[in-house]
Amino acid sequence: MTFSRALLTLGAAAMFAVTSWHAATAADPEQPVVLAPFYTKSEFEPPPPGSYALPDLGEAADGTVVDASGRVMRLHELLGDGKMVLLSFIYSTCNDINGCPLATAVMYSVQQKLRDRPELRDRFRMLSLSFDPTYDTPEVMRLYGTGFEGGGDWRFLTTASPDALQPILDAYGQSVIRDIDEQGKALPSFTHILRVFLIDPERRIRNIYSVSFLNPDLIINDAITALQTVASGERRASDESLKAPLLSTAGDNKDGYGDESYATRSKELLRRTGTEADLMHFVEAPPLGLPAVPIPADNAITHDKIALGRKLFFDRRLSLNDTFSCAMCHVPEQGFTSHEVSKAVGVEGRSHRRNSPTVYNVAYLTKLFHDGREESLEQQVWGPLLAHNEMANPSVGAVTGKIRKIPEYRGLFEQAFDGRGVSMETIGMALASYQRTLVSADSAFDRWYYGKQETALPESAKRGFNLFTGKAGCVACHTINEEYALFTDDQMHNTGMGYRESMGIKPPTERVVLAPGVFVDVDREVIDSVGLAPPADVGLYEVTQNPYDRWKYRTPSLRNVALTAPYMHNGSIGSLRQVVEFYNGGGVANELLDPRIRPLGLSDAEIDDLVAFMQSLTGSNVDVIVADAFAAPVGDVTRDDPNWAHEHVAGDD
Amino acid sequence: MGSLNMKRLAKTLLSASITAAALATGGISTALADETCMSPYMAKIVGQEDFVYVWTLGVEGVGDGQDKLVTVDVNPKSANYGKVVNSLSVGGRNEAHHSGFTDDRHYLWAGGLDTNKLFIFDVHTDPAKPRLHKVVTDFVAKSGGVVGPHTTYALPGRIMITGLSNNKDHGGRTALVEYTNAGEYVATHWMPTDENLRGAKKGGKFADVYGYDVRALPRRNVMVTSSFTGWSNYMMDFGKMLQDKEAMKRFGNTVVVWDLHSRKPKKVLDVPGAPLEIRCAWQPNHNWCLTTTALTSKVWMIYEDEAGEWQAKAIADIGDPSKVPLPVDFSIASDDSGFFVNTFMDGKTRYFDLSDPENPKQVYETVIARQVNMVSGSWDGKRQYYTSSLLANWDKKGEDDEQYFKAYDWNGKELVEKFSIDFYKEKLGRAHQMRFGAYALYAKNSDEKLKGTALAVNE
Repeated sequence: MTFSRALLTLGAAAMFAVTSWHAATAADPEQPVVLAPFYTKSEFEPPPPGSYALPDLGEAADGTVVDASGRVMRLHELLGDGKMVLLSFIYSTCNDINGCPLATAVMYSVQQKLRDRPELRDRFRMLSLSFDPTYDTPEVMRLYGTGFEGGGDWRFLTTASPDALQPILDAYGQSVIRDIDEQGKALPSFTHILRVFLIDPERRIRNIYSVSFLNPDLIINDAITALQTVASGERRASDESLKAPLLSTAGDNKDGYGDESYATRSKELLRRTGTEADLMHFVEAPPLGLPAVPIPADNAITHDKIALGRKLFFDRRLSLNDTFSCAMCHVPEQGFTSHEVSKAVGVEGRSHRRNSPTVYNVAYLTKLFHDGREESLEQQVWGPLLAHNEMANPSVGAVTGKIRKIPEYRGLFEQAFDGRGVSMETIGMALASYQRTLVSADSAFDRWYYGKQETALPESAKRGFNLFTGKAGCVACHTINEEYALFTDDQMHNTGMGYRESMGIKPPTERVVLAPGVFVDVDREVIDSVGLAPPADVGLYEVTQNPYDRWKYRTPSLRNVALTAPYMHNGSIGSLRQVVEFYNGGGVANELLDPRIRPLGLSDAEIDDLVAFMQSLTGSNVDVIVADAFAAPVGDVTRDDPNWAHEHVAGDD
Repeated sequence: MGSLNMKRLAKTLLSASITAAALATGGISTALADETCMSPYMAKIVGQEDFVYVWTLGVEGVGDGQDKLVTVDVNPKSANYGKVVNSLSVGGRNEAHHSGFTDDRHYLWAGGLDTNKLFIFDVHTDPAKPRLHKVVTDFVAKSGGVVGPHTTYALPGRIMITGLSNNKDHGGRTALVEYTNAGEYVATHWMPTDENLRGAKKGGKFADVYGYDVRALPRRNVMVTSSFTGWSNYMMDFGKMLQDKEAMKRFGNTVVVWDLHSRKPKKVLDVPGAPLEIRCAWQPNHNWCLTTTALTSKVWMIYEDEAGEWQAKAIADIGDPSKVPLPVDFSIASDDSGFFVNTFMDGKTRYFDLSDPENPKQVYETVIARQVNMVSGSWDGKRQYYTSSLLANWDKKGEDDEQYFKAYDWNGKELVEKFSIDFYKEKLGRAHQMRFGAYALYAKNSDEKLKGTALAVNE
């Protein structure tokens, strides 16, 4: 990336443009000899937020400043306010690549990184204060700032005069000397030492960054760390919304993979361990925001059935060739779905035409599968078990017969079902019982809406909720009521997504990422030469045969939606923001498009708020459920299992 | 290294002294060879090979639909020259992929990337007719969750197996797994992660934990592993995967240099774009290995610098990287003077001159077929063999899905086709990896069978 030139143009969009083929190795002869680490590569991984302490470095001083609209204000008006503040001193004509442009580039990067993290973005402000009041008028600062718009709270400030500026510079220890030429004449440039300040909501300085330490990820982690340790009771409640679920995170995190700066954050599989939980508790006392869990009269829920169902759920021997359990597509730490593929892949790599739906809160659904073709969990489990492109068992008998011969299951069915052994029915009842316990709510939204805790929900999410129930109209299908919210009407709708897929509406080339920050456009015919034609998918029509039901799919619940990417029945959308953008554009036009899908006219800020709202729907018990899943043994073939290959083969004594 | 006579070889084999110390000396002629792709701990065929064992993927609806070890007679002096002389079905479609001999070359271990089975064939009792000796079915359970046994690489008395995936999410995080020659599990060596680098240092930004191939440079006490992708991708329809934005983010971008003796990772090197096969140099002053990146189409050198530090650098493009030709197998000469490399998408094989190892130069290319994957050459460099299949669901579709075994003579300037076997017409399946067999390897065979075959044992 030709970073220095782009910086000098102050063209933010150009600076962070997606790289082209050879960009990763392109050298820039104009770069200075020693660049700040930000421009090249980070030498280290920032430590995780909260794993370290940020001491109080003293009070952030006040002063009189002028904002880009010309309003005179106290600096302290912009500090506090419940926000972390990143303050840098710059001047707009600065061209020292390791100086002001560095600070601004890092701040822009922070803004980009926080874009999809409203829980932090809404509590983060950036201030760029000029130390050249003579040249940097409010209008100049306004123009300077327009290059860096990106949805964040970033103010561009100056002062009314050098006299107003000096006390601020003194208080922050900023030595600024105007450069002079050989004749002693003032030059437009300054000699200064770059310092950027991180200030907490109590106006205490918590970190100071110089050239070597200006790393966007480090600053973000510092901000989270500082927020977690601000001892103010007023803020503690909303701090909880910052706590992301610890276990529901990708072990192989590919966020930012499209960017050259991508770095791995890989986790140990060996540390994927957990503690068994009493899942029955969630059935008996559903979390805030959910109604009583419906239990069929003929399948009373018991601890034994839950335990047996859990064992079956994680047993890969339940597939024809011992490679697939339910959990291979409904991966616990990936929101009980799969982040790694948009459409599922079954036995022998056979293509599935739809995205794996989450198993969270399936207890409440009356229509199962994306096309709603099944009516109970007990029956539903046999769909994947027998599907040729899922677990591929040839018959019910093949499954029951196999389980009966696996020593680990000896007596377990009889114990759970009053002496009844392995059968089509008991397998269904056991798996349904486990899945029925995976109810999850008591989210920040629930604590605010049903728990009446005013501070439980960030302001952006509250605004998002108003849009959700108002202008955006999402609630028409993702329903809520005064007692509880399932966030689904359990009905089938046409959004045009299925229509687009069936009609093969695709661009002539496909942009494919080959390595971090390296893309290539591949011709459609090349893709077709190595791929089978996608299987037909006409949605509910396949169940009802009613032509008016073409491309209708079940409304998914939005609970835990932040954990269940990628989205839509075909997994074609990678982020919540893109989902909202899809609906904001009115879906895909077709004659059967649901009339509720229409252009919404949402602004960027409103889209951000809706995303913030959806991110507030993560249940408080997901870590407990995932830790319980981690504790479940993964069933793989052992030498005790029946298998022809263990029987005598030629030459084996 | 060089030729030994039969009796000496037999003694060497019988005394099981094929160790790093058993170095024979002698003149070396330029040679390109599958033999050079194998473990330095192993006996080599330096004359005319008698058979090529082709680990073949069963295809639903083709013959019996099962994976099989297909034996092709490749000795021009044989009455069966150019024919399939044996086909041994093993049951199921396991995603047959790579295979490797034990150090004594008595057994051929072949992995199934899908079902995680290890098929151990006896190839010494009758080299013309391998027998299925043992099947390891509990590889995943024993290894602690490793999925996708890929390379089976001979170490003294042991087999080192690279994994590609795991049983928790079918993603790319994985490990190396060690077995005894008798088929007993020994140990699992997990790849270094950002959370636990296991004493390794990161040379760049990545520690992606993925696996693929393994090779050793015993002289430097170094083992090198590369990184491909997890089960969900290598089993997925290729066209579907190219359109799956999430899936395409999940390819390996690293090579790991290990302490061979302690099995501890030393350094994780950034090699972006799915580095696959690794071929280490044979010359004693060459402290480097090569790998090619499937997605970014480059040759990378993994080398020890003057300070003794292991580094990686890209040294050549293969074809036009913007067209994603997808380099797959490659085979290096025993004097490190050049290598053949295949590109799957355009069906070409290319020869690169390595006179200046840091600046490979392509000097020859030809189209083998509509798709090509593996290349294996005889020790004397005069014969090159090609097969077609990359992965069951990545192979081309329709008419482009040619499945074959092809034998060529290489005269140093061009390849001349000698014979070709259509694996679909013969109802066999998808032809993948090749390993060579020879009567001469096994002392109990008759002198007549040994005629014309010379062997070598090298470090």
